[in-house]
Amino acid sequence: MKLNRRFYLFFVLLFLLFSATAESPAQESYPNRPITLVAPFPPGGVADLTARPVAAAMEKVLKNPVVVANRTGAAGAVGMSSVANSKPDGYTLLMALSSISIIPEADKLFDRKPAYTMDQLIPIALISADPTIFVVNAARPWKSVKEFVEDAKKRPGEISFSSSGVYGTLHMAMEMLSHAAGISLKHVPYAGAGPALTAILGGHVDTLASGPAVVIPQIKAGKLRPLAGWGAKRVASLPDLPTFKELGYDIEFYIWAGMFAPKGTPDPVMKRIRESVKQAVGTPEFKAAMEKLQTPIAYLDAPEFQKFWDKDAKMLADAIKRVGKVEIEEKK
Amino acid sequence: MTETLHNLYLGFSVALSPGVLLYAFIGCVIGTLVGVLPGVGPLAGISLLLPVSFGLDATSAIVLLAGIYYGAMYGGSTTSILMRIPGEAASVMTCIDGYAMTRKGRAGPALAIAAVGSYVAGTLSIVALMFLAPPLASFALRFGPPEYFALLLLGLLVLAYMSGGSMLKSLAMAALGLFLGMIGIDPMTGFLRFSYGVIELGDGIGIVPVAVGLFGLSEILLTAGQPTASEVVRPRLRELLPSRAEWRDSFWPIGRGTVLGFLVGIIPGSAHIISSFVSYAVERRLSKHSERFGQGAIEGVAGPESANNSATSGAFVPMLALGVPSGPIPAVMIAAMMVHGIAPGPLLIAHQPELFWGFIASMYVGNLVLLILNLPLIGIFINVLRIPYPLLYPAILIFCVLGVYAVNGSVVDLGIMTAMGALGYMLRKFDFETAPVVLGLVLAPMMEMSFRQSLSMSSGSYGIFVNRPIALAMLIVGLALLLLGVVPFVMKRAAWRQRLGFSAQEKESA
Repeated sequence: MKLNRRFYLFFVLLFLLFSATAESPAQESYPNRPITLVAPFPPGGVADLTARPVAAAMEKVLKNPVVVANRTGAAGAVGMSSVANSKPDGYTLLMALSSISIIPEADKLFDRKPAYTMDQLIPIALISADPTIFVVNAARPWKSVKEFVEDAKKRPGEISFSSSGVYGTLHMAMEMLSHAAGISLKHVPYAGAGPALTAILGGHVDTLASGPAVVIPQIKAGKLRPLAGWGAKRVASLPDLPTFKELGYDIEFYIWAGMFAPKGTPDPVMKRIRESVKQAVGTPEFKAAMEKLQTPIAYLDAPEFQKFWDKDAKMLADAIKRVGKVEIEEKK
Repeated sequence: MTETLHNLYLGFSVALSPGVLLYAFIGCVIGTLVGVLPGVGPLAGISLLLPVSFGLDATSAIVLLAGIYYGAMYGGSTTSILMRIPGEAASVMTCIDGYAMTRKGRAGPALAIAAVGSYVAGTLSIVALMFLAPPLASFALRFGPPEYFALLLLGLLVLAYMSGGSMLKSLAMAALGLFLGMIGIDPMTGFLRFSYGVIELGDGIGIVPVAVGLFGLSEILLTAGQPTASEVVRPRLRELLPSRAEWRDSFWPIGRGTVLGFLVGIIPGSAHIISSFVSYAVERRLSKHSERFGQGAIEGVAGPESANNSATSGAFVPMLALGVPSGPIPAVMIAAMMVHGIAPGPLLIAHQPELFWGFIASMYVGNLVLLILNLPLIGIFINVLRIPYPLLYPAILIFCVLGVYAVNGSVVDLGIMTAMGALGYMLRKFDFETAPVVLGLVLAPMMEMSFRQSLSMSSGSYGIFVNRPIALAMLIVGLALLLLGVVPFVMKRAAWRQRLGFSAQEKESA
């Protein structure tokens, strides 16, 4: 009996010992301790799947550990605000998606204290950008955007689309289309891009805008029919699919992933980070990883990324203002 | 048939290759550990190991991650039975009768039946997965928001109908759970509700901190509040295995739990959690001795533990046959496949037969491994009960705190756990059941979302719930259950009045 008691006491002590983390003493040169790359979404999402190969490649370049931390919650606001409000020393970085520009706008709309503001973060680099694809359930009659828009004009508010959530990226893409085509559609939000896909496959909604990696397997299986893409160029794996621009709609939409640092990070440190990211995205391992994920690399260094971000953020802000507050009463 | 056998042969040749076998084993061991630790559930376990699986080939990676998922269902029962702390959310129902059995010195049989039930359910449900995946998956797709809402409403009515104690009290607790589930961002409009500026509350209240607080912490508080430490009957070694009567009592609950769990599992959502609630309710209702439930009925362990295991196989149906995630865990596994360049979708079974059949075969092997792993572990785990309370309870507290913190790395979760511990203590002092709170919390977001999605699909017309055959059928069953539930309620009241009258007469004559 006594042995058992001692054994468990030992076990508890061991556990305590392990759970206490020790911080290594600081030195001068950057980096000298592990860098945390925050992915504000759960593992398996686009942010996480982009962050992991970037972190692995950066580790080799910097010869210093880069750890991906999933800090999830409130549609990414928890993780993004944690980085925005962290110490600007280059040891806490962020891998964010396009929604980084949406959350502060939505906060404004509801007169909420914003979780963070966009000027609290400075861009490091754009990593990937995936144009969304407009798909319809294969059982629906529309064979082209033209047919779809004509039908939608005849019966406003009747054709439905699913999305990853209200004010989510997939919602914004459809909102831009409705605005550009002058149509009104019925929005049925779901909790995430996965359930939104299930909804269109089950025929509970008619249309969906989502990333190529999500919809292409379903297109190949004949369950969904693509009508157009939101990119400036056609999607490589769907060469026959026109873009909205080709069809005369001036809209572009990407689900992109980019890296950010908190504002106030010293210039030499920023320079070092940018260089390491640039080298990292050029490594064959990183390229192979992204190819498997069917996500095109769209690297842009900080100055160009800033321009891209400004343009994208303005576009999203306009779309959100057009949507306005979603009324609680159901539309008749 | 011959084709299936041929495919299965291919599958076993993959699953029994040393590399895959090793990863199945590792997955099962990690799953058991993850299940045993309170707080850390299969989702956290799989998420942590996802990056590790990037370095493996696709089949090994999927086999490893799936092993964690169903392994956790085995491990989850351990702390529920021994300490009344749900190892993960699907084991909440096991706490009730499992822990009551422990108090009676029957911890060994409870653990054994949980392991055997899990094994039987795991194996049988894989057979179902193997033969029925494609047709069932297309059936699951027909579950749109209206059907889903009808199903969840049915679930709540089943709970009310099956409730053992006061119906009013259980419904009140379910309502409290539903309210807790409303906290956070309104999923349809983006408004924040009841968050009072706490950004973490925007995401809602997690199931894990609530379950650990209501069950685990409240138990520790109750024990500490007793004048003398309650004496747990120390288990004797020869009492580790269930008696003949206990085997007999568990036979049908395991069978029913298997079928129920699989069917619930196919439908998208937190299926493994809901299936355990439904199974417990069904067993209590069907039992000839429903008064034994809550006092250590082995059926109350056998049913839910089988159901949650079988639900994990059910959850793989939409994932493998259609490439759509039926919950957060299959979603992570789909991501793992994509990392390996495999596009999950309707063509997966045809294009990746080695992956699909290897996966199926590895689940047969994995379940056997888990049974072999878990039965001897009972003898070790049971020793936990020999630790004196002054040492055991602080250690449990540490595990609870670490486990709950590990899920999201959030201090707010610890606050929620503490508050729920205090609430659970009070509720139990006043003789309220706490399990319906957890059920309400699990159901609330899904119920609200599907209700409002339905109305949004029908542009505000409630007719959508009765115009669709599946939804209508479920609503009728729910209504019938409700009426059936009221009948004995009225009868009982009459009987109760008579009894009171009778005893009053007796008193007079005495």
